[in-house]
Amino acid sequence: MIPKAFLFVVVIVYTAFAAGPFVWVATMSLRTTSEITQDHYAWPETLHWEKFPQAWFNSNYSVYFENSLLVVVSAVAVLTVVGAMAAHCFARYRFRVNRILYFIIFSAIIFPPQITIIALFQILVQYGLYNSLVGLTLVYIAVQLPLTVYILESFFARIPADLFDAARIDGYPEWQIFWKVSLPIALPAIATTIILNTILLWNEFLYAVVLITDEAKRTLPLGIQRFMGDQLEDVGMIATGLMIAIIPVVLIYVFFSEKLIQGMTAGAVK
Amino acid sequence: MATVALKALTKRYPGSDLLAVDAVDLDIAHGEFMVLLGPSGCGKSTTLRMIAGLESIGSGELTIDGKRVNDIPAKDRDIAMVFQSYALYPHMTVFDNLAFGLRRRSVSASEIRDRVRDVAATLGLAELLKRKPHALSGGQRQRVALGRAIVRDPKVFLFDEPLSNLDAALRVGMRGELIKLHHRLGVTMIYVTHDQVEAMTMGDRICIMNGGKVVQIGAPLDVYREPADMFVAAFLGSPPANLLTGRFNGSGLEVGDMRLPVARRDSADEVIFAIRPEDIRIDGSAPHAQGEVLAVEPLGAETIVRFRLPGVASDVLVRGPRTVAAKVGERVPVVFDLDAAHLFDPVTTRRIL
Repeated sequence: MIPKAFLFVVVIVYTAFAAGPFVWVATMSLRTTSEITQDHYAWPETLHWEKFPQAWFNSNYSVYFENSLLVVVSAVAVLTVVGAMAAHCFARYRFRVNRILYFIIFSAIIFPPQITIIALFQILVQYGLYNSLVGLTLVYIAVQLPLTVYILESFFARIPADLFDAARIDGYPEWQIFWKVSLPIALPAIATTIILNTILLWNEFLYAVVLITDEAKRTLPLGIQRFMGDQLEDVGMIATGLMIAIIPVVLIYVFFSEKLIQGMTAGAVK
Repeated sequence: MATVALKALTKRYPGSDLLAVDAVDLDIAHGEFMVLLGPSGCGKSTTLRMIAGLESIGSGELTIDGKRVNDIPAKDRDIAMVFQSYALYPHMTVFDNLAFGLRRRSVSASEIRDRVRDVAATLGLAELLKRKPHALSGGQRQRVALGRAIVRDPKVFLFDEPLSNLDAALRVGMRGELIKLHHRLGVTMIYVTHDQVEAMTMGDRICIMNGGKVVQIGAPLDVYREPADMFVAAFLGSPPANLLTGRFNGSGLEVGDMRLPVARRDSADEVIFAIRPEDIRIDGSAPHAQGEVLAVEPLGAETIVRFRLPGVASDVLVRGPRTVAAKVGERVPVVFDLDAAHLFDPVTTRRIL
């Protein structure tokens, strides 16, 4: 058996490894760039809290934040509902092309985004969706849907078929069975996809940088990029921007984490 | 209350050559407790699910109260079903599980409350209404599943092996309660099981199925005493009937080295001689044969004795009183109660006598 003390050391080392960079950025977010250039790793002497309102108001972060919120919330909402419906169908109904469709959707997961991005760019230009938040939202939905369906399908498939039969006999049509039986039972899995999609899309950079050009339409990851000039990087402000960007992700994780753990450890349906 | 009639009901699952249900004819009367009995895979559950509307009907006709319901969806058939897995909604409280079906049927909230409370009280669930299914014992879940059916006040109750997941003691108790429930409600019930004790004790009539076909329909004791074919004789009874090959030869029936005074029928020479273990006695007065005792199984109330009879290939089981004093290896006299014995045609497997 492995001694407990050894495991404890491993956990501490791993925590330091994972949390270290985060703490470092957090300290930098409260220091000015000139302070940081003098000593990269120093603890903040005076806490420059004013950098947060400065980033928010002067550097347009309020706009980026709003854009990100709009895009991510609507994309995740659509992803959750459409993904759950698709997963429900794949898991519940026997129809001729079920497995073929599922395979096609699933195989979309393996393509790296770089492959599709030029085609996507042209499609969006043609439909007048280039450089628009609606266009970006649609792309986010399309990109994340396969993974969402994949996670949810495996969970829906584990819900015993008798429950659906019981609901049918209780007088419910298929549509209502989805809302009143499938969805509530699958809540842990749904929470998992909500967290996963929110975090991934909140931090998404590649599609945003290709598909958005207007200053007023930038999302947070693009906003942070603005502080990286050709000659000079405003490291202090980047750190502050990152801390602002991270807050919603932390919140959503805290809010859903219990469900997330349930979802990941679940043979939950019994 | 309702009658249910199945006319040549047939079902084939896609991709299968075999008929899961093969031209099943069955008439179920008002208020009857009909048991569908058979080994697993015999089509009894599929038949029940077709009655429920959970499986589409391949061909044939299903009527409830004289009305054809082939194409009426499950939700509009006004039937309730209790599942082997109970199928309780895990995210709802007991109250909501019971009320779920009523909410769909535009019953007022106050009436739902009253009906759920009534049913919960009769089933001893009153204290558990706020619990979720995972916080209930197996027996309690079973009651909730039953309550969910009762509260709806349906025309027909369907049961799909509802007691199989309970332990033995609970099963006996629930069996009694289901019989009482049937008497109290007087409603038509169709009950699927592979357990012959459940079938014998609960059914007004039993419909025995094998390989998708109905083999025999009748009152429990009639089916037991007058099996229509070798399958029923061998399936019912614990232990089941002894099936021995016999041959008519002049003055009587030869079974092994025994010669039994059985009248010849207008059929083939070869027959299967069937006799239930309780119709054989160990008795010195005018024995039909001397049997060699192979094993003795005292069960307390009775004793099962396994014999080898001269010239008979298969072992013969005898159900004797607990006082039987046979010892392994002994030779003892055996008497058949020939009035209770049957003959089967070895080719068609149907009963001749």
